[in-house]
Amino acid sequence: MAQLAAVIGTGQTKYKTKRGDVSIAGLLREAAVAALEDAGLGFDDIDAVVIGKAPDMFEGVVMPECYLSDALGANGKPMLRVHTAGSVGGSTALVAASHVQSGTFRRVLTVTFEKQSESNAMWALSTPQPFSVHLNAGAGGYFAPIIREYMRRSKAPYDVGIKVAVKDRLHGARNPLAHLHKPDITMAEVEESMMLWDPIRLLEACPSSDGACAMVIAAEDAVDSSAKPPAWIRGGAMRSEPTLYAGRDEVNPRAGRDCAADVYRQAGISDPRRQLNCAEIYVPFSWYEPMWLENLGFAEEGQGWRLTMDGATSLDEGGDIPWNPSGGVLSSNPIGASGMIRFAEAARQVRGDAGAHQVAGAKLAMGHAYGGGAQFFAMWIVGADKP
Amino acid sequence: MSPADPLTQDFELGFTYTRSTGPVVGRFLTGLRERRIEGVRASDGRVIVPPMEYDPDTAAALEDFVEVGQEGELVSWCWVSEPRAAHPFERPFAWGMIRLDGADVPMVHCIAADSEQDLVTGARVRASWVDEPRGHISDIRCFELVEGGAS
Repeated sequence: MAQLAAVIGTGQTKYKTKRGDVSIAGLLREAAVAALEDAGLGFDDIDAVVIGKAPDMFEGVVMPECYLSDALGANGKPMLRVHTAGSVGGSTALVAASHVQSGTFRRVLTVTFEKQSESNAMWALSTPQPFSVHLNAGAGGYFAPIIREYMRRSKAPYDVGIKVAVKDRLHGARNPLAHLHKPDITMAEVEESMMLWDPIRLLEACPSSDGACAMVIAAEDAVDSSAKPPAWIRGGAMRSEPTLYAGRDEVNPRAGRDCAADVYRQAGISDPRRQLNCAEIYVPFSWYEPMWLENLGFAEEGQGWRLTMDGATSLDEGGDIPWNPSGGVLSSNPIGASGMIRFAEAARQVRGDAGAHQVAGAKLAMGHAYGGGAQFFAMWIVGADKP
Repeated sequence: MSPADPLTQDFELGFTYTRSTGPVVGRFLTGLRERRIEGVRASDGRVIVPPMEYDPDTAAALEDFVEVGQEGELVSWCWVSEPRAAHPFERPFAWGMIRLDGADVPMVHCIAADSEQDLVTGARVRASWVDEPRGHISDIRCFELVEGGAS
């Protein structure tokens, strides 16, 4: 990257089941205004706007960037919409960052959102196709057999996913913006919850949320407007692969491994578990924590579940590498925004701005998003120290 | 089967959605239920009908509501000589841009007229309401020409 860039403002709505009091524009607006206030800026200070959301069919709004330009102060400025399924929140942040790193713009506002209460994400995600059997599966149905294959390969105990579900909800109970607040959740409660897509139980799955997340990304000479320190972007990478091809490893996708290697190389990381202080990783179904621990090199293949069971990823157990201190996707899931929330929460950690879910002294953090059939990956590493 | 005769299959895809109007468009639609047409004052003083949530120039949130008249003048139109099933009339009519009294920008609605020859830029038109308004843009059934109102 040619120019240094940093996050100088983040803004999020409170995540809820239904925000019937606002339009889609009003929902984004809350996050955008919060990010601008955090950055010490107004709409006039922004040079370009980059938005992201899940597929148009989810909410039935085609080309939402046209409808949303007034609400985001984008009239007369470049406005771009990014689209990479569930990873869109992460790739939108990276496109916004590249707008600054390229030297083209000094301050970029980036916003992602989803109003699941008004959308049809479940069925728009698995559309029937001519000449084919319609599985009516939804996201959980797609990932369930991949999780079962991970369980078979790793010989992990049956309750690893249950542990993740409890851990992330205890983290979420510390985060006032999280959708689910379950400070008294137990392993037994998760285990007894309804089996949705065997082996994924209800409480091992993410909720459906309304919400938006925004960030302001600035060039090196424009980071001082915020009262808080900048989160320097130390590396960013995206990778994609087809949903299906002969020899594809869906449990440990090549695109995820390659994307992690790229972002680690940029940030000078050889041992992510030791060198990073925390990570916000896209875990919409509980078992994806041990799977991504391996895919991202925090553990050897087949060993990721041991970190989870040892409490290494838990704030409450004093783990050495807390994953999803904000509560993660398991606590809040406005789909189009979920990836950006990971990226913004990583920035909040290294700015010392994460409140009750702050990882003490965090200097280097990772944000991660995946989408589609675990085929789109977006990752960044942000640091308190200027590279 | 020959290569010139490929398989085809009808394919229909549909989903249900919900919309929340928010405080600005919601207020406009609620006003229609009471046969009231409201706009909003923009940062440059213009009254915009239907109202916008955010100012197109400054991005400011707009909330200074202004009731406008039920009459206005025709700015431009498009005559529909052969209405189809989805149209609001079975007989020929016009889609028109109507600048209501007190408003600074025109809004789109349908115009009932016997013939395109009756339409002229600047013609006076008046809102005609349905019997039981419910908070929908079609609570205004159409705009009708005001007798002798051409200006």
